[in-house]
Formats: sequence, C-alpha cells, structure tokens
Amino acid sequence: MTPLVQINHINKIYGKRKAVIQAIKDISLPIYEGETLGLVGESGSGKSTLGKLLIGLEPPTSGDISYRNNLLWKKKRFMRPSPGEIQTVFQDPQSSLDPRMRVKQIILEPLNALPDQERKVKGSLERLHTLVKRVGLKIEHLERYPHEFSGGQRQRIAIARALVTEPSFIVLDEPTSALDVSVQAQVLNLLKELKQENQLTYLFISHNMSVIRYMCDRMAVMYKGEIVEIGETKSILNNPKHDYTKMLLSSMLKVN
Amino acid sequence: MLDIKNLSVEFNDLNGRVKALTNINIHIEQGEIVGIVGESGSGKSVTALSILGLLDENAHISNGSIIYHDQNLLEMNVKDIQALRGKKIGMVFQEPMTALHPTMNIGQQLIEVIRQHKKVSKKEAYRLAIEALKDVHIHHPEKVAKQYPFELSGGMRQRVVIALAMSNPPELLIADEPTTALDVTIQSEILNLMKELNQKKSVSVLLITHDLGVVSQLCDRTIVMYAGQIVETGLTYDVLHFPKHPYTEALLNSLPDLKQQDQLLEAIPGEVPDLRYPPMGCPFHSRCKQAMTICREHDPKLDICEGNHYVACWLRRDEA
Repeated sequence: MTPLVQINHINKIYGKRKAVIQAIKDISLPIYEGETLGLVGESGSGKSTLGKLLIGLEPPTSGDISYRNNLLWKKKRFMRPSPGEIQTVFQDPQSSLDPRMRVKQIILEPLNALPDQERKVKGSLERLHTLVKRVGLKIEHLERYPHEFSGGQRQRIAIARALVTEPSFIVLDEPTSALDVSVQAQVLNLLKELKQENQLTYLFISHNMSVIRYMCDRMAVMYKGEIVEIGETKSILNNPKHDYTKMLLSSMLKVN
Repeated sequence: MLDIKNLSVEFNDLNGRVKALTNINIHIEQGEIVGIVGESGSGKSVTALSILGLLDENAHISNGSIIYHDQNLLEMNVKDIQALRGKKIGMVFQEPMTALHPTMNIGQQLIEVIRQHKKVSKKEAYRLAIEALKDVHIHHPEKVAKQYPFELSGGMRQRVVIALAMSNPPELLIADEPTTALDVTIQSEILNLMKELNQKKSVSVLLITHDLGVVSQLCDRTIVMYAGQIVETGLTYDVLHFPKHPYTEALLNSLPDLKQQDQLLEAIPGEVPDLRYPPMGCPFHSRCKQAMTICREHDPKLDICEGNHYVACWLRRDEA
C-alpha cells in the first residue's frame, strides 16, 4: 500500500530561548490511503499539534511531510495540494462555526478557494441539498444560524462543510468529545458511512480508547510529543507493548 | 439521611417556562455512593444545585421538599444553608480551574474554608490544610500549599478541590462531573480517591455524570434521568446489566465499547425534547422503538419492578 501522507522526522517547538516546549519530538509515520488512523494520548501529548501541521495551521520546526509524494511544507509555507483536498472537523462545534453566518454560507464557504468552474459544479443547489440530507439535516435548515442547532446538529454542519469540496483526507480532531453518548453514536455512524461512500482517509484524534477501537484500523499512541506505539488497533489493544499504552488501557472504565 | 420528595423545578426563560425537573424522588443513606446519569439537559445538575440552594434567581421550585436530617432545606434561610454548605454538605464541580480562586495560593484557600466552619487558630488551620492535602495523596503538601492554581495540572487542581470539600469532613459530598475535564489515567486516580474517602470517612457521595463507565466503577446505586425525570433507578449492577427502561438500554447500546468495527452503533434517533414544550405522555416516547399508544398519552410514573429496581415505563406495567 502506498502512503497518502508520509510524515518524516518532524519536530515542533513552540516558544523561544529558555521558554520552549517541544510539542512534537521526531515523529515519522505513514497514513495509508483509505484507512482510519487513530491518534490517542492525553492532553498536552501533541496529538492536536500533529493535526495542525497536516491541515496547514502550524509549520513544523524541522522534518517534512509529503502528501501524494509532494511536500506539504516548504520552509514556513504551506503548499496546499489542491484547495479542499484536505479538510478538518474540530471538537467544539460551538466555536468552529461562525455565529453570524447562515448554515448555507458556512457549508459553501470552503468552495471560495476553488476555481470558478469547479465552484459552480460543486456548489450547485442540487448537490448542496443532497449533501445536507446525507449528513442528516433538512433543507430548511440552510437558512438558519448555528445557535438554532443542538451540538450534534452543529457537528453535522461541520461535517457537511468538510465534505463540500470532495476531499480525500480529513483530520478529525476529537469530533465527538463534546457530544452526549447517544448523539456521539449518530455522528460516529455517519462518519463511518461517509468514509465508505466517498473513499476517504481519516486521521482520527481522540482521547477516548473505545471510540478509537471502534473507528480505527491502525492507531498510534502519543505521549509527551512522541509516538510510543503504532500498529493495528486490534493488536495494540490485545497486546500493548509500551507501559504508557498499558496504563491507558487499564484506566479505561468498563460498563459491563 | 437526605430525602428529596416530589421535587419540581421550573426556570423562567425569555421564551417561557422550562420544566427542568418533574417530580424527582431521591434518597441517600449514610455511607452510600449514588450516581445520577443523564445526557445534557436531563436535569442532573439542577438536582445537585437545588440541594445546595445554588439555583439561579430565575429558578422556581414549584413543588416538593428536600429533607436533610429532619430539616427541609428548601425552607431554610440563606445563613443556615451557608452554614451547612462546606461543612455538612461538600461539593466538587467539573472545572477545577473555575472552582479555585486564581490569585490565592492553595494554602490560603484551604485555611479560609477551614476557619469558616471551625474556630481554630491560623496555625492550626494550616496544619489541618496540610493534612487535607495529604488525604488526597498530594506528595509535597507544603510545596503545593504555596502554589497557585495556574501552576497545577488539571488532576492536581481537582485533588485540591476535593481537599477543600473534605477539609471539614462533610456527611454528604456532591460531585458534579468531577472527572469529565480530566485525562483517563487521572480520572481513574480521582475516582479511586473518592471511593477511598467514602470508605475511610464514611462520607455519602452523590455523583453526577454523563459517563456510564464512571457510575459502574464507583456507585452503589444508579439513577437514570431523562428530560427532567427519573426514568430508572436501582442497584448499579442491575441497572447496567438488566436495564428495564428502553432509554437506559438504548444508552448502553449506543456506547462504542462493545461493538465490533463492522457493526453500526445503535444510535438513539432524534433528540432530547425541548422542555419549554414538554411532550405529552412519556418524555422518551418520540425516540422509543417500542412506544405504544398509551406512551404518547399518559406519563408512566416511576414504579417498582423488582426488589429495589424502579422504572417509569408502560412496557413494564400490567395495566398497559
């Protein structure tokens, strides 16, 4: 299998001189086309930072990331593959949707980066309606504002916004952590179905082991900026090698 | 020890009245750990705030009583309630950063709380403060006492909050999502700590959470709330292994914990009802797969179904 994304020896250091924090320490990993790679770790372990490097929000301090064999970062410049090829869904649907925009504007906004021709095709009313219905919203919702929706519905809006450009790769940063369990199940199911239908590749960032176990083919465990273990989800869960992974697994609360 | 009877609470909102709690009955015995689980808006936090007398001004208690050792907390004046809070009834909230004073060091905060309820010298209060920090397994209590909240990690802050609550050992500790903001490894430490304090000092705990894993680890009894009502209650083992209410069952089925990757999760369709316009009948009927005609028309009351297991569902009634 060819990697869609290849991360090579990246480091990320925040701050200057004495007050530095190394958020990412020499991480190398491939993300294969069509897989869901889970990234698990505690707060401050660097998992969201890694996501930011992939979507162009933060440049790595050193090392390189390639996407379909093209470098994503040249010095501090993000070399966007084609606009909308890489998308993202954030944790908090409260703060990731502009409160002064209608749902329709929110969902269509990513298309502004596309060439005119493509924008017209992808932004057609018919396509928009299909997309909105697919993520479980209604057409009349398009004219409303984010505050009129519940957390789960807002996350559906964020998912529609990510899908509108027909991306190949989506970084999901704790997409269900702010949701109630019954709603979390709806969103996880939706993400799984959408991946199948659109041949997507996911990087799924979460601190919740059961969610990772359910969603991901492979997983990587991060601890203090390093990847301490990476492999198939099943084999890591059944046979964890690193002490931190073992500790994470033993602190999982089981309902039954 | 604590007995909540027929408690109903409404909020006055710009758009009308929100029925936040409808006819809640809860009793807690000495030394017991009782969990309330529910999703956002189910009324679990409102229940806690009513016990503490901390409801917002726009709240209106329309019915019921909260009896604590033969006294009705709802009829007590502010001063008496304040004397109870922090002494007989302690509390721990979700966000330890906002629960602590940002510009006082930990020692000062503990001393203030201790001297509020005990007539002791500052020196003695300091000794008790260090003691309280030791009780929550803080290894360098003298050092932490000099630190400010921003210098501590989330887990340490929550330990300090628990130390504050336990510094005048209460009879009842109310903990509202005490581990929700914490990492899983820290969460299990804090839960163990609460269990230990419960056993050593026989403190009763009312634990409020959205996490079924947390109740299963800690609670003797579990109360499941939905849309401002108690839909099921019983021993934690019974409720989680043999749920009687379709909502509890659906909630358990929606967890990814036990599913294989190729199985879809059984999500509960729809959303929690808007409590400004509470639905007729059972609050869960619009999302319930097994809803019958009677469910849409009449609200099932909480009724005993087996031993100590209570459920509010028409499916469990003979007359339906």
